[in-house]
Amino acid sequence: MNGIFEVNYAAFSMFAALLITEIMGAVGLLIAWPSRSKVLDYIVPIWEVTGTFGAFWVVTGDFAYPGLLVPVSAIFTPLLIFFLILWVARGASIAFAEFITKRGWLDEERLFTSYAVSTLVLGLVVLVLLSALVGGQGVSLASGSFSIISWATAGSVAFVIGTLLLAVGLAPVFFDLQALHSLVIPLSGIGVILSVLSYWLMSPGLLTLWMAVPVLLTLAVGALYVWRRTSKIVTNKAAFLAVLSVIIFSLQPLVYPKAVGQALAIDAVTTTGAMSNAFFSITLVGGLLLALMLSFYVVVATRGPSGPDL
Amino acid sequence: MAVDPGSMLTFVRFLFAFTIGSHILLVSTSIALVFLIFISEFVSIRKHDQAYDALARRLSKVFVISFGVGTASGIVMAVELVGLFPSFMTLVASTGAMALLYAEVSAFFLEVLALVLYVYYWNTFRRRYSHWAVSVFVVIGTLASAVFITMVNAWMNTPNGFDTSAFIGSGFKTVTGVEPFAAFLTVSTVTQIFHVLVTTLFAGTMVIGAYFAYWFVRSGDAGEKAMYSRALKILGAMAIVTIVLSGISGSEEMGSLLVNQPLKYAALDGNTVPGTNLPDRFFGSVVNGTYVGGISVPGMQALLAKFETGTTTLPGLSQFPANTWPPLLVSTTFNVMTVGGLALGLFLFAFFVSFVRKRRPYESRRLLYTWIPAAVLATLVYQLGWATDEVGRQPWIVYNVMTVAQAANTSDALLVPGIVIVLFYLAVIPVTFYFYSRVFQGVRREAPA
Repeated sequence: MNGIFEVNYAAFSMFAALLITEIMGAVGLLIAWPSRSKVLDYIVPIWEVTGTFGAFWVVTGDFAYPGLLVPVSAIFTPLLIFFLILWVARGASIAFAEFITKRGWLDEERLFTSYAVSTLVLGLVVLVLLSALVGGQGVSLASGSFSIISWATAGSVAFVIGTLLLAVGLAPVFFDLQALHSLVIPLSGIGVILSVLSYWLMSPGLLTLWMAVPVLLTLAVGALYVWRRTSKIVTNKAAFLAVLSVIIFSLQPLVYPKAVGQALAIDAVTTTGAMSNAFFSITLVGGLLLALMLSFYVVVATRGPSGPDL
Repeated sequence: MAVDPGSMLTFVRFLFAFTIGSHILLVSTSIALVFLIFISEFVSIRKHDQAYDALARRLSKVFVISFGVGTASGIVMAVELVGLFPSFMTLVASTGAMALLYAEVSAFFLEVLALVLYVYYWNTFRRRYSHWAVSVFVVIGTLASAVFITMVNAWMNTPNGFDTSAFIGSGFKTVTGVEPFAAFLTVSTVTQIFHVLVTTLFAGTMVIGAYFAYWFVRSGDAGEKAMYSRALKILGAMAIVTIVLSGISGSEEMGSLLVNQPLKYAALDGNTVPGTNLPDRFFGSVVNGTYVGGISVPGMQALLAKFETGTTTLPGLSQFPANTWPPLLVSTTFNVMTVGGLALGLFLFAFFVSFVRKRRPYESRRLLYTWIPAAVLATLVYQLGWATDEVGRQPWIVYNVMTVAQAANTSDALLVPGIVIVLFYLAVIPVTFYFYSRVFQGVRREAPA
């Protein structure tokens, strides 16, 4: 087991879970603006935390794989710059939208729409990046380049569509949108099928028995929501986020021990020696601090009369 | 159209300088904002003063914007560093500088979670002091982030914690003898943190003060004016304390350069040859190895850097190969920074005297009108301070280890995305400041204090 990989991947799982729930919220804002309060009650306090988990993942990645920085920068620079612009646009739009008062054409709805569109496009960019890291389509490690035309294979496209369908299909669960509950099983079911198909198309070796874990967990979330007696379990946001993080964490065979279409052995590029010890020491101290702050957050947030003061 | 590597190197330098120059505008106002909120709420509780309470509440909304855009911009810079200077970041990732960046993420978590609780759960806390205590964590998180990133810069100025000779000898391929935690305390770390923190707080304080000065003079609403004058009272005190500390820490910083980066010291002070009892020179230039023109103040250099005269031998450019000299323009940027700092000190001295004489300087139209150009000057001085530090280290990105040219990615594929980033920042920074104001004023209309 590669402990450094596990920490970095755990950071990614938490970041991805938060980002996916934001994407779900973005969809909600775009298609159901009148019922926005359910979405905003969640997104408004949490979007800053998503960004911090993003930084956590990026920094642990830099720390974990120093030798990958040069090739990654060469291969993904245009995609990363596009990502960064969307990232700032997303942060700026929602920060402005939260406290804006209407004057002229610019109002809360336009700014939240800008946030939702930025977040959705950002999600697409992340999915393109992730599918390239999993299957290696479009990536040339030898020449240090990325081609979006070569990336656009059936496997990559199925990966993106499958994940988006899962996000849309599970959005009613997360935000408890009863009016859309009939979409949950069909959309998340098709999402699971497309996702599994995409792994097989990218590289048949990715499909191991272990993949049954994320598949069953995902289907269980949808099923628990549809059955009224158990719907409360999965509409609890903390529980949903925890399960989603576990689902993403259990997808790690897609990139470990080998990533980028089986061309990159993770253990061979992981930091070692004194830097490895420093990585674990800081993770321990930082992790304790994070756990303390999150506990404090949960205590205060659950004590509040009706969610955050918006 | 292919762009030659030399031009791309210039573009890469410009792009990062532009990005970080824009980013620190957000950082300095963020740090000042968090202090202002922290003090305002405390005073509001102590004095049961509604105007201070309204100030803290309204500013906390502005701080959310500042934090949101600032952290997003910080992530842009982190990724940009990998794209623009990959060899440098590979070195960083293999040494203790990476440990500093990782520690910074912990500070971010502290800041963000405390901020979310502070802003969004204000009314959940039954005891006001408990709510105020959360702002202590926001302050600690914000300052810790600034401290860790300054530590990385100190490490770039005085690198340690790895075998530099072996690294250079291997053609930048092998990093050995790594001691990750050594980077937390290089020989320049303490002085640089002291100077960076107080000058950053000072610059932000002046900018926010200018906003309140403008609105105090313009507003006809008595309630609003009362709140602006309270903000200016706090900001005036913060500016006076931080300008004094900026002077002291600046002197400490020069003392540190004298020992740890003597070439940078010589370039800043325009010393062409070493010597004792050298004059402090302003606004001249080095021509054919001689400093010409400008104003000289005899014997001042060692006095300012070491609090003595005639004993310390001060370094000169002639002691170093000319190809390792930084651009000598840094002498001018350093002079503008010093003289600008003195002018700001005089302005704040007048503010202080007025306060001692109970003339209420925070309500004096004359002083408040002067505050606005003073804030522009403070921003210029702050930016020039960073420019002096960074350009003064040239040609090195990591002092005496790796040059910027060796670290940079000069692929012309960066040109178009780079231009897009510049255009983007040109829009984001003014829009952000516009929204600071609009949100601050908008909260008033929605919920009068």
